[in-house]
Amino acid sequence: MVMSVRDWAVRFSEASDRDQTIGAMAKYFTCTYLWDMGTAKVIVEMIDGKVYRINVDPAPMDAYDFALRASPQTWREFARPIPAPMFHGIWSASFRRDLKIEGNTLALMQNLRNFTVQFELLRKVGVPV
Amino acid sequence: MAKHSPVVGRYVTIDVDGYEYKVFYLRNGTGVPLVCQHTAGCHNHQWRGLLEDPEITANYDVIAYDLARHGKSDPPTNREWWKEEYLLTAEHFMNFITIFCEALELERPIFMGSSFGGNVALQLALHHPDKFRAVIPVEAAEHAPGFFLDLWRHPHANAAQVCASGVWDLMAPQSPEMDRWQTWHYYTQGAEVFKGDLHFYSVDHDMRGQLGNIDTRRCPVIMMTGTYDYLTPPDATENTARQIPGGIYIEMEDIGHFPMSENYPLFAVYLKEALHIIENKTASSAPA
Repeated sequence: MVMSVRDWAVRFSEASDRDQTIGAMAKYFTCTYLWDMGTAKVIVEMIDGKVYRINVDPAPMDAYDFALRASPQTWREFARPIPAPMFHGIWSASFRRDLKIEGNTLALMQNLRNFTVQFELLRKVGVPV
Repeated sequence: MAKHSPVVGRYVTIDVDGYEYKVFYLRNGTGVPLVCQHTAGCHNHQWRGLLEDPEITANYDVIAYDLARHGKSDPPTNREWWKEEYLLTAEHFMNFITIFCEALELERPIFMGSSFGGNVALQLALHHPDKFRAVIPVEAAEHAPGFFLDLWRHPHANAAQVCASGVWDLMAPQSPEMDRWQTWHYYTQGAEVFKGDLHFYSVDHDMRGQLGNIDTRRCPVIMMTGTYDYLTPPDATENTARQIPGGIYIEMEDIGHFPMSENYPLFAVYLKEALHIIENKTASSAPA
């Protein structure tokens, strides 16, 4: 059974805020991003390394810096404890699978170290699709 | 009691196309010279496991250098290098390697490189087959476009972290966490040259249509690629090897684009297979 997006948001926030690797360099980890998983969409707002808010029902005009869009199947692959080749990161999936990275990619690069760690938390938290 | 490594570091000064380089290299072992090139934007510590592997160093003289501008090899000492953009070319890269090997008086070494080092290994097999006993292109392909990006050294981002985390998922998730973070750490140190290296990797290196001219009787080619490499995925390397008459391809399971650095014990299994193949090929082709 697929977890609800609200339950996912709680689990993801807790996992991120407790993560020691993010905490070790969290001070300026500030950005807002959209994860489009097809049947679920979330906007995660990070401020100084902590999850400030997760919008689980984004409206068309809700703002974000950058977006990651892929099929539900790809997001489920991201969430495996050990993802298969080419589903093991945002670069691999954007080069070789259906992941699209859109928006202000400079904001992504400015936060890439922590965002990469945070993305891999999906392997522990799962995805709501 | 101090715990010293058997690996020793030295500097040698060479002239390459009018550029004076003071080159740092690490060395350990006895036997057939095995010259190792690190990946783009990195340095010779990627070969730390190989340099201290007694099974290899018992029979091979392992030499891992820092390409000029990387690690402890400075930019050219006779040029105002800061006034020109660094863009590595295949010709200069090959000249650097052949002149470095001559300076160390190496007798037909085996050349092994990963990523852009793998791509230059292919170039050496084509253009300098008699100078090398064999080449081992790791994570290489005839053409590897798509990584010559401005984002690697954008002044509005922390380039060290962009380069290090930008290559993070070139590694396999199964590789030991300590080794992956070690590799990440190395990549924070080469941000200023990464893009210039990738000019060779993604732009100047294009061997499409030339692979059939590689003579593997003079210089055997053993290619190896990890299944988690998204830049040169296994099918790209296999397709490259298939076009080289006599070319050999070894697929490495559950490892990525930095195999010697992210998981040396696993890489060593495949490397020993490659060296065994080279031993057999070079023994049978040696003059009576």
